[in-house]
Amino acid sequence: MPGERAALIWGVVATILVVVSTIGVFLVAPEDADQGVIQRIFYFHVAIAIASLVAFAVACVAGILYLRTRDARWDDVGEASIRIGLLFSVLVVITGSIWAKASWGTWWVWTDPRLVTYLIVVLIYAAYFVLRSSAEDDRRMRYSAIYAIAGFASVPLSFYSVRVAESFVHPVVFTSSGANMPGSMLIWFVVSQAAMIALFIALLEVDLVGRRSERALRRLALRLENA
Amino acid sequence: MSRRRQLAALVRKDLRLELRTRETIVAMVLFAIVMMAILQFGFGTRDDDLTRFVGGLMWVTLAFTAVLGVGRSYVAEREQRVLDGLLVSPVPRVVMLGAKAIAIFLYMTAVEVIVIPLVGVFFVQGPYWDAIGWIAIAALLANACIALSGTLFSGLALFTRARDLILPVLFLPALVPVVIAAAGATHAVAGGPHDMSEWRGYCLFLLAYAILFSLVSVATYDAVFDD
Repeated sequence: MPGERAALIWGVVATILVVVSTIGVFLVAPEDADQGVIQRIFYFHVAIAIASLVAFAVACVAGILYLRTRDARWDDVGEASIRIGLLFSVLVVITGSIWAKASWGTWWVWTDPRLVTYLIVVLIYAAYFVLRSSAEDDRRMRYSAIYAIAGFASVPLSFYSVRVAESFVHPVVFTSSGANMPGSMLIWFVVSQAAMIALFIALLEVDLVGRRSERALRRLALRLENA
Repeated sequence: MSRRRQLAALVRKDLRLELRTRETIVAMVLFAIVMMAILQFGFGTRDDDLTRFVGGLMWVTLAFTAVLGVGRSYVAEREQRVLDGLLVSPVPRVVMLGAKAIAIFLYMTAVEVIVIPLVGVFFVQGPYWDAIGWIAIAALLANACIALSGTLFSGLALFTRARDLILPVLFLPALVPVVIAAAGATHAVAGGPHDMSEWRGYCLFLLAYAILFSLVSVATYDAVFDD
Protein backbone atom coordinates (compact mmCIF):
# COMPACT_ATOMS: atom_id res chain seq x y z
CA MET A 1 0.00 0.00 0.00
CA PRO A 2 1.34 3.48 -0.89
CA GLY A 3 0.57 4.87 2.60
CA GLU A 4 2.53 2.13 4.30
CA ARG A 5 5.45 2.59 1.91
CA ALA A 6 5.46 6.36 2.56
CA ALA A 7 5.40 5.71 6.32
CA LEU A 8 8.32 3.29 5.99
CA ILE A 9 10.38 5.67 3.83
CA TRP A 10 9.75 8.66 6.09
CA GLY A 11 10.44 6.51 9.15
CA VAL A 12 13.84 5.52 7.76
CA VAL A 13 14.65 9.10 6.68
CA ALA A 14 13.63 10.48 10.10
CA THR A 15 15.65 7.83 11.98
CA ILE A 16 18.80 8.54 9.91
CA LEU A 17 18.40 12.31 10.31
CA VAL A 18 17.74 12.11 14.07
CA VAL A 19 20.82 9.87 14.58
CA VAL A 20 23.03 12.12 12.38
CA SER A 21 21.80 15.32 14.05
CA THR A 22 22.29 13.88 17.55
CA ILE A 23 25.87 12.86 16.72
CA GLY A 24 26.52 16.20 15.03
CA VAL A 25 25.04 18.29 17.83
CA PHE A 26 26.89 16.49 20.65
CA LEU A 27 30.19 15.54 18.99
CA VAL A 28 30.85 17.84 16.04
CA ALA A 29 29.19 21.23 16.60
CA PRO A 30 31.41 23.75 18.44
CA GLU A 31 30.64 24.51 22.06
CA ASP A 32 29.13 27.90 22.81
CA ALA A 33 31.77 30.11 24.48
CA ASP A 34 29.22 31.81 26.69
CA GLN A 35 26.73 29.10 27.72
CA GLY A 36 28.82 25.92 27.39
CA VAL A 37 27.30 22.48 26.88
CA ILE A 38 23.70 23.47 27.76
CA GLN A 39 23.52 25.59 24.60
CA ARG A 40 23.36 22.32 22.63
CA ILE A 41 19.73 21.96 23.73
CA PHE A 42 19.03 24.87 21.37
CA TYR A 43 19.38 22.58 18.32
CA PHE A 44 16.47 20.43 19.51
CA HIS A 45 14.45 23.09 21.34
CA VAL A 46 14.14 25.46 18.39
CA ALA A 47 13.84 22.68 15.78
CA ILE A 48 10.97 21.05 17.71
CA ALA A 49 9.28 24.45 18.14
CA ILE A 50 9.37 25.13 14.40
CA ALA A 51 8.22 21.55 13.63
CA SER A 52 5.25 22.02 16.00
CA LEU A 53 4.24 25.19 14.17
CA VAL A 54 4.46 23.29 10.88
CA ALA A 55 2.18 20.61 12.39
CA PHE A 56 -0.39 23.23 13.46
CA ALA A 57 -0.23 24.86 10.02
CA VAL A 58 -0.86 21.45 8.40
CA ALA A 59 -3.85 20.97 10.74
CA CYS A 60 -5.21 24.40 9.80
CA VAL A 61 -4.91 23.63 6.07
CA ALA A 62 -6.49 20.20 6.67
CA GLY A 63 -9.34 21.96 8.52
CA ILE A 64 -9.95 24.30 5.58
CA LEU A 65 -9.86 21.35 3.16
CA TYR A 66 -12.26 19.36 5.36
CA LEU A 67 -14.77 22.23 5.44
CA ARG A 68 -14.55 22.51 1.64
CA THR A 69 -14.69 18.81 0.77
CA ARG A 70 -16.20 17.10 3.86
CA ASP A 71 -13.72 14.29 3.23
CA ALA A 72 -13.02 12.42 6.51
CA ARG A 73 -9.40 11.88 5.46
CA TRP A 74 -8.69 15.58 6.08
CA ASP A 75 -10.13 15.20 9.56
CA ASP A 76 -7.65 12.35 10.14
CA VAL A 77 -4.77 14.53 8.91
CA GLY A 78 -5.92 17.42 11.13
CA GLU A 79 -6.26 15.38 14.28
CA ALA A 80 -2.99 13.49 13.77
CA SER A 81 -1.12 16.76 13.07
CA ILE A 82 -2.45 18.45 16.20
CA ARG A 83 -1.68 15.36 18.29
CA ILE A 84 1.95 15.43 17.11
CA GLY A 85 2.13 19.24 17.26
CA LEU A 86 0.87 19.19 20.85
CA LEU A 87 3.44 16.54 21.79
CA PHE A 88 6.17 18.68 20.22
CA SER A 89 4.88 21.80 22.02
CA VAL A 90 5.04 20.03 25.38
CA LEU A 91 8.63 19.05 24.50
CA VAL A 92 9.37 22.70 23.66
CA VAL A 93 8.12 23.77 27.08
CA ILE A 94 10.13 21.01 28.82
CA THR A 95 13.38 21.67 26.91
CA GLY A 96 12.87 25.42 27.34
CA SER A 97 12.40 24.94 31.06
CA ILE A 98 15.60 22.88 31.28
CA TRP A 99 17.47 25.56 29.35
CA ALA A 100 16.04 28.26 31.64
CA LYS A 101 17.22 26.37 34.73
CA ALA A 102 20.75 26.07 33.32
CA SER A 103 20.94 29.64 32.00
CA TRP A 104 18.96 31.67 34.51
CA GLY A 105 18.91 29.33 37.52
CA THR A 106 15.15 28.87 37.56
CA TRP A 107 12.80 26.38 35.90
CA TRP A 108 10.29 28.97 34.78
CA VAL A 109 10.67 32.60 33.75
CA TRP A 110 7.43 34.50 33.16
CA THR A 111 9.37 37.30 31.45
CA ASP A 112 10.53 34.94 28.72
CA PRO A 113 8.09 35.54 25.87
CA ARG A 114 8.68 32.35 23.89
CA LEU A 115 8.32 29.97 26.83
CA VAL A 116 5.10 31.65 27.97
CA THR A 117 3.77 31.66 24.42
CA TYR A 118 4.30 27.94 24.14
CA LEU A 119 2.45 27.36 27.37
CA ILE A 120 -0.53 29.23 25.84
CA VAL A 121 -0.18 27.21 22.63
CA VAL A 122 -0.25 23.95 24.64
CA LEU A 123 -3.43 25.13 26.39
CA ILE A 124 -5.10 26.12 23.10
CA TYR A 125 -4.38 22.80 21.41
CA ALA A 126 -5.09 20.65 24.47
CA ALA A 127 -8.63 22.10 24.35
CA TYR A 128 -8.96 20.70 20.79
CA PHE A 129 -9.11 17.17 22.21
CA VAL A 130 -11.63 18.15 24.87
CA LEU A 131 -13.86 19.57 22.12
CA ARG A 132 -13.36 16.48 19.95
CA SER A 133 -14.29 14.10 22.71
CA SER A 134 -17.56 15.86 23.42
CA ALA A 135 -19.06 15.93 19.92
CA GLU A 136 -20.07 13.07 17.61
CA ASP A 137 -19.51 12.06 13.97
CA ASP A 138 -19.95 14.85 11.42
CA ARG A 139 -20.26 17.52 14.10
CA ARG A 140 -17.01 16.36 15.69
CA MET A 141 -15.18 16.68 12.38
CA ARG A 142 -16.68 20.08 11.59
CA TYR A 143 -16.01 21.52 15.02
CA SER A 144 -12.48 20.14 15.01
CA ALA A 145 -11.79 21.73 11.62
CA ILE A 146 -13.14 25.11 12.77
CA TYR A 147 -11.15 24.95 16.00
CA ALA A 148 -7.97 23.97 14.14
CA ILE A 149 -8.36 27.12 12.01
CA ALA A 150 -9.23 29.38 14.99
CA GLY A 151 -6.43 27.82 17.06
CA PHE A 152 -3.89 28.52 14.36
CA ALA A 153 -5.08 32.14 14.19
CA SER A 154 -4.51 32.36 17.96
CA VAL A 155 -0.87 31.23 17.69
CA PRO A 156 0.59 34.42 16.13
CA LEU A 157 -1.66 36.49 18.42
CA SER A 158 -0.24 34.70 21.47
CA PHE A 159 3.31 35.20 20.20
CA TYR A 160 2.77 38.88 19.55
CA SER A 161 0.84 39.65 22.75
CA VAL A 162 3.55 38.17 24.93
CA ARG A 163 6.20 40.10 23.03
CA VAL A 164 4.36 43.41 23.41
CA ALA A 165 4.11 42.72 27.12
CA GLU A 166 7.54 41.57 28.17
CA SER A 167 11.16 42.58 28.09
CA PHE A 168 13.27 40.17 26.10
CA VAL A 169 15.45 37.88 28.14
CA HIS A 170 15.27 35.03 25.63
CA PRO A 171 18.31 34.63 23.41
CA VAL A 172 17.27 35.81 19.94
CA VAL A 173 19.11 33.70 17.39
CA PHE A 174 17.12 34.35 14.23
CA THR A 175 16.63 38.01 13.42
CA SER A 176 15.37 39.74 10.29
CA SER A 177 19.01 40.26 9.26
CA GLY A 178 19.77 36.51 9.36
CA ALA A 179 21.01 33.80 11.72
CA ASN A 180 23.02 35.08 14.67
CA MET A 181 25.45 32.12 14.82
CA PRO A 182 28.53 30.79 12.97
CA GLY A 183 28.18 28.48 9.97
CA SER A 184 29.51 25.45 11.90
CA MET A 185 26.54 25.76 14.27
CA LEU A 186 24.02 26.73 11.62
CA ILE A 187 24.64 23.58 9.59
CA TRP A 188 23.80 21.36 12.58
CA PHE A 189 20.76 23.42 13.31
CA VAL A 190 19.58 22.88 9.71
CA VAL A 191 20.17 19.10 10.07
CA SER A 192 18.25 19.06 13.39
CA GLN A 193 15.43 21.02 11.81
CA ALA A 194 15.25 18.60 8.87
CA ALA A 195 15.26 15.69 11.36
CA MET A 196 12.33 17.13 13.32
CA ILE A 197 10.28 17.90 10.21
CA ALA A 198 10.98 14.37 8.90
CA LEU A 199 10.02 12.98 12.31
CA PHE A 200 6.72 14.88 12.14
CA ILE A 201 5.96 13.55 8.65
CA ALA A 202 6.92 10.00 9.67
CA LEU A 203 4.70 10.12 12.79
CA LEU A 204 1.87 11.58 10.71
CA GLU A 205 2.16 8.83 8.09
CA VAL A 206 2.30 6.10 10.75
CA ASP A 207 -0.75 7.58 12.48
CA LEU A 208 -2.69 7.72 9.19
CA VAL A 209 -1.74 4.13 8.30
CA GLY A 210 -2.97 3.07 11.76
CA ARG A 211 -6.32 4.81 11.21
CA ARG A 212 -6.75 3.29 7.75
CA SER A 213 -5.97 -0.20 9.11
CA GLU A 214 -8.42 0.32 11.96
CA ARG A 215 -11.17 1.29 9.52
CA ALA A 216 -10.39 -1.69 7.28
CA LEU A 217 -10.54 -4.01 10.30
CA ARG A 218 -13.86 -2.55 11.37
CA ARG A 219 -15.30 -3.06 7.88
CA LEU A 220 -14.02 -6.64 7.85
CA ALA A 221 -15.52 -7.36 11.28
CA LEU A 222 -18.86 -5.95 10.10
CA ARG A 223 -18.76 -8.12 6.98
CA LEU A 224 -17.96 -11.22 9.04
CA GLU A 225 -20.82 -10.45 11.41
CA ASN A 226 -23.24 -10.15 8.50
CA ALA A 227 -21.97 -13.29 6.73
CA MET B 1 -35.58 42.22 4.50
CA SER B 2 -32.15 43.79 4.15
CA ARG B 3 -29.24 42.40 6.10
CA ARG B 4 -29.05 45.52 8.20
CA ARG B 5 -32.68 45.14 9.27
CA GLN B 6 -32.18 41.45 9.97
CA LEU B 7 -29.15 42.32 12.12
CA ALA B 8 -31.06 45.03 13.99
CA ALA B 9 -34.00 42.67 14.57
CA LEU B 10 -31.77 39.93 15.99
CA VAL B 11 -29.90 42.34 18.28
CA ARG B 12 -33.24 43.76 19.43
CA LYS B 13 -34.44 40.21 20.17
CA ASP B 14 -31.44 39.53 22.43
CA LEU B 15 -31.67 42.89 24.20
CA ARG B 16 -35.43 42.62 24.70
CA LEU B 17 -35.04 39.16 26.23
CA GLU B 18 -32.35 40.52 28.54
CA LEU B 19 -34.37 43.59 29.51
CA ARG B 20 -37.38 41.41 30.35
CA THR B 21 -35.54 38.93 32.52
CA ARG B 22 -32.41 40.91 33.52
CA GLU B 23 -30.81 37.56 34.23
CA THR B 24 -27.48 37.78 32.44
CA ILE B 25 -26.20 41.29 33.09
CA VAL B 26 -27.22 41.35 36.76
CA ALA B 27 -25.55 37.96 37.28
CA MET B 28 -22.44 39.16 35.43
CA VAL B 29 -22.14 42.31 37.57
CA LEU B 30 -22.60 40.37 40.81
CA PHE B 31 -20.13 37.75 39.65
CA ALA B 32 -17.58 40.47 38.80
CA ILE B 33 -17.92 42.05 42.26
CA VAL B 34 -17.55 38.66 43.96
CA MET B 35 -14.49 37.95 41.80
CA MET B 36 -12.89 41.25 42.80
CA ALA B 37 -13.50 40.52 46.47
CA ILE B 38 -12.03 37.02 46.10
CA LEU B 39 -8.99 38.37 44.26
CA GLN B 40 -8.50 40.99 46.96
CA PHE B 41 -8.60 38.40 49.74
CA GLY B 42 -6.62 35.94 47.65
CA PHE B 43 -3.77 38.41 47.35
CA GLY B 44 -3.84 38.81 51.12
CA THR B 45 -2.75 42.42 51.01
CA ARG B 46 -5.80 44.16 52.38
CA ASP B 47 -3.79 47.04 53.79
CA ASP B 48 -1.59 47.58 50.77
CA ASP B 49 -2.10 49.67 47.69
CA LEU B 50 -2.99 47.37 44.78
CA THR B 51 -2.56 50.05 42.13
CA ARG B 52 0.22 48.20 40.34
CA PHE B 53 -1.99 45.12 39.97
CA VAL B 54 -5.02 47.06 38.77
CA GLY B 55 -4.86 45.95 35.12
CA GLY B 56 -4.54 42.31 36.08
CA LEU B 57 -7.29 42.47 38.70
CA MET B 58 -9.66 44.22 36.32
CA TRP B 59 -9.08 41.94 33.34
CA VAL B 60 -8.98 38.64 35.18
CA THR B 61 -12.35 39.64 36.63
CA LEU B 62 -13.72 40.71 33.26
CA ALA B 63 -12.37 37.61 31.45
CA PHE B 64 -14.18 35.25 33.83
CA THR B 65 -17.27 37.46 33.70
CA ALA B 66 -17.12 37.26 29.90
CA VAL B 67 -17.11 33.45 30.09
CA LEU B 68 -20.27 33.64 32.17
CA GLY B 69 -21.97 36.08 29.79
CA VAL B 70 -20.91 34.28 26.62
CA GLY B 71 -22.12 30.98 28.11
CA ARG B 72 -25.55 32.50 28.73
CA SER B 73 -25.77 34.16 25.33
CA TYR B 74 -27.20 31.13 23.50
CA VAL B 75 -29.53 29.92 26.25
CA ALA B 76 -32.72 31.17 24.58
CA GLU B 77 -31.62 29.77 21.23
CA ARG B 78 -31.02 26.38 22.77
CA GLU B 79 -33.74 25.99 25.39
CA GLN B 80 -36.61 27.77 23.65
CA ARG B 81 -35.72 26.37 20.22
CA VAL B 82 -35.11 29.86 18.82
CA LEU B 83 -32.20 28.48 16.85
CA ASP B 84 -34.43 26.05 14.92
CA GLY B 85 -36.53 29.01 13.77
CA LEU B 86 -33.47 31.07 12.88
CA LEU B 87 -31.84 28.28 10.91
CA VAL B 88 -34.88 27.73 8.69
CA SER B 89 -35.40 31.47 8.17
CA PRO B 90 -33.59 33.19 5.28
CA VAL B 91 -31.12 34.89 7.63
CA PRO B 92 -27.49 34.48 6.55
CA ARG B 93 -25.28 32.88 9.20
CA VAL B 94 -22.94 35.85 9.11
CA VAL B 95 -25.85 38.08 10.23
CA MET B 96 -26.54 35.70 13.13
CA LEU B 97 -22.84 35.89 14.03
CA GLY B 98 -22.84 39.70 13.87
CA ALA B 99 -26.00 40.02 15.96
CA LYS B 100 -24.75 37.69 18.67
CA ALA B 101 -21.36 39.45 18.75
CA ILE B 102 -23.07 42.85 19.09
CA ALA B 103 -25.25 41.52 21.94
CA ILE B 104 -22.21 40.14 23.81
CA PHE B 105 -20.35 43.41 23.18
CA LEU B 106 -23.24 45.36 24.70
CA TYR B 107 -23.49 43.00 27.72
CA MET B 108 -19.77 43.43 28.41
CA THR B 109 -19.96 47.20 28.00
CA ALA B 110 -22.90 47.38 30.42
CA VAL B 111 -20.96 45.35 33.00
CA GLU B 112 -17.84 47.51 32.57
CA VAL B 113 -19.82 50.73 33.15
CA ILE B 114 -20.13 49.47 36.74
CA VAL B 115 -16.97 47.41 37.13
CA ILE B 116 -14.34 49.85 35.83
CA PRO B 117 -15.28 52.66 38.28
CA LEU B 118 -15.52 50.07 41.08
CA VAL B 119 -11.99 48.87 40.32
CA GLY B 120 -10.82 52.44 40.84
CA VAL B 121 -12.66 52.69 44.16
CA PHE B 122 -11.52 49.28 45.44
CA PHE B 123 -7.94 49.01 44.29
CA VAL B 124 -6.37 52.30 43.15
CA GLN B 125 -4.88 54.81 45.55
CA GLY B 126 -3.04 56.87 42.92
CA PRO B 127 -4.54 58.92 40.07
CA TYR B 128 -7.12 56.88 38.16
CA TRP B 129 -10.10 58.97 37.11
CA ASP B 130 -8.12 61.11 34.64
CA ALA B 131 -7.21 57.86 32.85
CA ILE B 132 -10.76 56.51 32.70
CA GLY B 133 -11.28 57.59 29.08
CA TRP B 134 -8.15 55.74 27.89
CA ILE B 135 -9.14 52.66 29.90
CA ALA B 136 -12.63 52.82 28.36
CA ILE B 137 -11.22 52.86 24.81
CA ALA B 138 -9.03 49.82 25.56
CA ALA B 139 -12.06 48.13 27.16
CA LEU B 140 -14.22 48.71 24.07
CA LEU B 141 -11.52 47.17 21.86
CA ALA B 142 -11.18 44.23 24.27
CA ASN B 143 -14.98 43.83 24.22
CA ALA B 144 -14.88 43.52 20.42
CA CYS B 145 -12.24 40.75 20.77
CA ILE B 146 -14.28 38.99 23.48
CA ALA B 147 -17.51 39.29 21.47
CA LEU B 148 -16.05 37.92 18.23
CA SER B 149 -14.11 35.00 19.68
CA GLY B 150 -16.85 34.33 22.26
CA THR B 151 -19.54 34.06 19.58
CA LEU B 152 -17.49 31.54 17.62
CA PHE B 153 -16.52 29.40 20.63
CA SER B 154 -19.98 29.47 22.23
CA GLY B 155 -21.41 28.33 18.88
CA LEU B 156 -18.96 25.42 18.90
CA ALA B 157 -19.79 24.53 22.51
CA LEU B 158 -23.56 24.79 21.99
CA PHE B 159 -24.26 21.20 20.92
CA THR B 160 -21.42 19.43 22.69
CA ARG B 161 -21.78 17.22 25.72
CA ALA B 162 -20.84 19.06 28.94
CA ARG B 163 -21.06 22.40 27.06
CA ASP B 164 -20.78 24.42 30.29
CA LEU B 165 -17.40 22.83 30.82
CA ILE B 166 -16.29 23.01 27.21
CA LEU B 167 -16.80 26.75 26.74
CA PRO B 168 -14.25 27.97 29.32
CA VAL B 169 -11.74 25.34 28.16
CA LEU B 170 -12.03 26.59 24.57
CA PHE B 171 -12.54 30.27 25.26
CA LEU B 172 -10.10 31.14 28.05
CA PRO B 173 -6.85 30.11 26.27
CA ALA B 174 -7.93 32.21 23.26
CA LEU B 175 -8.62 35.10 25.67
CA VAL B 176 -5.11 35.07 27.14
CA PRO B 177 -3.72 37.50 24.51
CA VAL B 178 -6.71 39.81 25.10
CA VAL B 179 -6.14 39.77 28.86
CA ILE B 180 -2.41 40.46 28.37
CA ALA B 181 -3.06 43.40 26.06
CA ALA B 182 -6.05 44.89 27.92
CA ALA B 183 -4.26 44.58 31.30
CA GLY B 184 -1.14 46.12 29.71
CA ALA B 185 -3.13 49.03 28.30
CA THR B 186 -4.77 49.60 31.71
CA HIS B 187 -1.40 49.44 33.50
CA ALA B 188 0.06 51.93 31.03
CA VAL B 189 -2.37 54.69 32.05
CA ALA B 190 -3.75 53.85 35.52
CA GLY B 191 -2.28 54.94 38.82
CA GLY B 192 0.56 57.17 37.65
CA PRO B 193 2.14 58.88 34.65
CA HIS B 194 0.56 57.79 31.36
CA ASP B 195 2.74 55.78 28.97
CA MET B 196 0.77 56.52 25.81
CA SER B 197 3.09 54.72 23.38
CA GLU B 198 2.68 51.51 25.41
CA TRP B 199 -1.10 52.06 25.59
CA ARG B 200 -1.22 52.61 21.80
CA GLY B 201 0.78 49.40 21.17
CA TYR B 202 -1.63 47.33 23.25
CA CYS B 203 -4.69 48.94 21.67
CA LEU B 204 -3.34 48.27 18.16
CA PHE B 205 -2.82 44.67 19.19
CA LEU B 206 -6.44 44.44 20.40
CA LEU B 207 -7.58 45.90 17.08
CA ALA B 208 -5.49 43.33 15.17
CA TYR B 209 -6.96 40.52 17.30
CA ALA B 210 -10.51 41.74 16.61
CA ILE B 211 -9.87 41.97 12.87
CA LEU B 212 -8.24 38.52 12.68
CA PHE B 213 -10.97 36.83 14.72
CA SER B 214 -13.72 38.55 12.72
CA LEU B 215 -12.14 37.11 9.55
CA VAL B 216 -11.88 33.61 11.07
CA SER B 217 -15.44 33.81 12.42
CA VAL B 218 -16.95 35.01 9.14
CA ALA B 219 -15.03 32.31 7.22
CA THR B 220 -16.06 29.44 9.51
CA TYR B 221 -19.39 30.41 11.07
CA ASP B 222 -21.44 28.86 8.20
CA ALA B 223 -19.96 25.49 9.16
CA VAL B 224 -20.85 25.83 12.87
CA PHE B 225 -24.59 25.52 12.17
CA ASP B 226 -24.33 23.35 9.08
CA ASP B 227 -26.65 20.61 10.35
